[in-house]
Amino acid sequence: MTTESLLQQAESLLATMSRGSTRPETNRLDVVIESSGLVPAVSALKNARWGYLTALTGLDLGVEAGVVEALYHFCSDAAVTTLRVRLPRIGGSVPSIYQLIPAVGFYERELAEMYGVTVTGMPDDSRLFLPDDWPVGVYPLLKDFDPQSAQPVKVPPPPRGSSTGERFIIPIGPQHPALKEPGHFEFTVDGEIVTAARMRLGYVHRGIEKAVEQRNWIQSLYLLERVCGICSHTHSVAYCLGVEQLAQVEVPPRAQAIRELIAGLERIHSHLLWLGVAAHEAGFDTLFMYSWRDRETVMDLLETVSGNRVNYSANILGGVKIDITAEFAEAIRRGIDYLEERSRHYLDIVTTDTMFLQRTRGIGAMTREQAEHFGVLGPLARASGILRDVRVEAPYGAYTRFPISAVTAQAGDLEARFVVRLKELFVTCNAIRTILDNLPPGELAVKVPRRIPAGETISRVEAPRGELFYFIRSTGGDKPDRVKVRTPSLCNWTSVLHQAIGCQLADVPLLLAGMDPCFSCNDR
Amino acid sequence: MTTDPNYPWQTVFDKLKTWARVNSPWAIHFNSGSCNGCDIEILATLTPRYDIERFGVKLQGSPRHADVLICTGPVTRQARERLLRTYEQMPEPKFVVAVGSCAISGGVFQGCYNVVGHIDEVLPVNAYIPGCPPRPEAIIDGVVKLLESIKGK
Ligand code: SF4
Repeated sequence: MTTESLLQQAESLLATMSRGSTRPETNRLDVVIESSGLVPAVSALKNARWGYLTALTGLDLGVEAGVVEALYHFCSDAAVTTLRVRLPRIGGSVPSIYQLIPAVGFYERELAEMYGVTVTGMPDDSRLFLPDDWPVGVYPLLKDFDPQSAQPVKVPPPPRGSSTGERFIIPIGPQHPALKEPGHFEFTVDGEIVTAARMRLGYVHRGIEKAVEQRNWIQSLYLLERVCGICSHTHSVAYCLGVEQLAQVEVPPRAQAIRELIAGLERIHSHLLWLGVAAHEAGFDTLFMYSWRDRETVMDLLETVSGNRVNYSANILGGVKIDITAEFAEAIRRGIDYLEERSRHYLDIVTTDTMFLQRTRGIGAMTREQAEHFGVLGPLARASGILRDVRVEAPYGAYTRFPISAVTAQAGDLEARFVVRLKELFVTCNAIRTILDNLPPGELAVKVPRRIPAGETISRVEAPRGELFYFIRSTGGDKPDRVKVRTPSLCNWTSVLHQAIGCQLADVPLLLAGMDPCFSCNDR
Repeated sequence: MTTDPNYPWQTVFDKLKTWARVNSPWAIHFNSGSCNGCDIEILATLTPRYDIERFGVKLQGSPRHADVLICTGPVTRQARERLLRTYEQMPEPKFVVAVGSCAISGGVFQGCYNVVGHIDEVLPVNAYIPGCPPRPEAIIDGVVKLLESIKGK
């Protein structure tokens, strides 16, 4: 179906609940609904299998307007339908849609703690991102939030693991050898079997979404690049695409191609990094060391082209600031050839090594239905046979010119996730070669005004871990009014925590690693 | 072991302990709000290209076995308590290394509502390694400098 017919279908599905609808951009439909109409509206979309819920954005329209909006964004290919629920600024409430879409659990908790919106019927309403000592009734993302009002309050010490009868709760983290980043999990076990799983985020929550509102459009680029040190380029691409769309500037083709090229190199470094960490969790340290040794090849390439190993700062608003010379291109080709050969070797290992297969084959299997139900994204979805990849479903930037084929597998277990990610390396290597062979000539950047015209836009890009979603709103000033970042890890947690139930406790570290979680991404 | 300065063997024992510590410091890593960039570079120092283990440095899981605390990132409100607790669990003498601009000054995250500050507002820091993130070579250099400074003690 074309984007247009998808949007028309959504409009007719929502006709009875709609209190007015608009088409802010060609691929978007905004439908205003009452909070009482939320459950029927979501059911209508869900029953018609119209896309999936990708994010829930809270939006404060300011003290004078007295309105807070909850925006439920649904995506189907390139079409985005947004349900806008308008609520009073104080004491607003929406019903929970957790029973329909489990992945919304985390988003609803975020909405409640950041905006003070009551979500009725939430299964878990504990703190998610804000610290334990945060005072009740202070909501940081409201426009009139005063940091002085958030003085720490006294809290009772956290429970230290407890037992009821035969059941034990095992707390893991925030500081734990199996976690490279801080997060806190509580696994209830019955003997060796996990019977319940909970998690607490927020150890690396810095408050970037709020900080962006205090920085201008250019400063925000560098801040958002540092949401995540692994997929930093993807974050800056998502932000740039959105801002360029609002400013209505056309990025030169050469810049778009260079963006895709660097995104490809970043994907290679991210997948190799993950391969090592996941192998380490499985006790296969040799593979960890080998894959990280080879990862240095791609780090060298990134450093050659950008001058930095991690936060490359390749993007500027309106284009890129680094060029790919013939000399760089040659170096990249050589590096890619080597990495491709090594990836073949690794693919061979993870699909034939008997010891390793005992840790991965058939473990944590997720069927296609389950994956759809939990709304998983990225390689996790593709390993369960769902073709979910923004680069294919809604090509952006240079992906229209240099298309990419998505890799899927059917088994949905840990092995399938290894296979999908490794095969993606081959696809990425080929894409990089194509770009190098056909690099469009021309300018690297166009000028973008200091003040961005008022408007709202959505930009979605495919990060190494799945779809990255940005909602950007400008009121015409030199600072963003709202930037919402929804990262793929936050979507995928729900499914992994459900999958952990019934598993052996010993399989849990690998199960968590198999998702390739990134805490700094989902905490922001 | 006794620590009486008049005990005749004391200086010999002290020398021996310092020698052992300098030759094989065990480190623990804590991320109190970093973007991951620094953490990945620390992990990279352990891998074959950089191989920090050739200086005897070993990354340890438990604070109770560690001599050096490697900190990354600004300190967030939720992580502050845990950072302190990790530090307190380490046996004396202990050393703290702050890796990255964020750990040194808060970096780009200065002024964020959930950031309480940089590492040396919470813990005494012995070595600072600047960069966003510092290269693995810089991290190794920082650790080696720290070891040099311990030698004299
Ligand atoms: S110094 Fe840079 S790389 Fe390190 S945590 Fe801070 S922002 Fe990330």
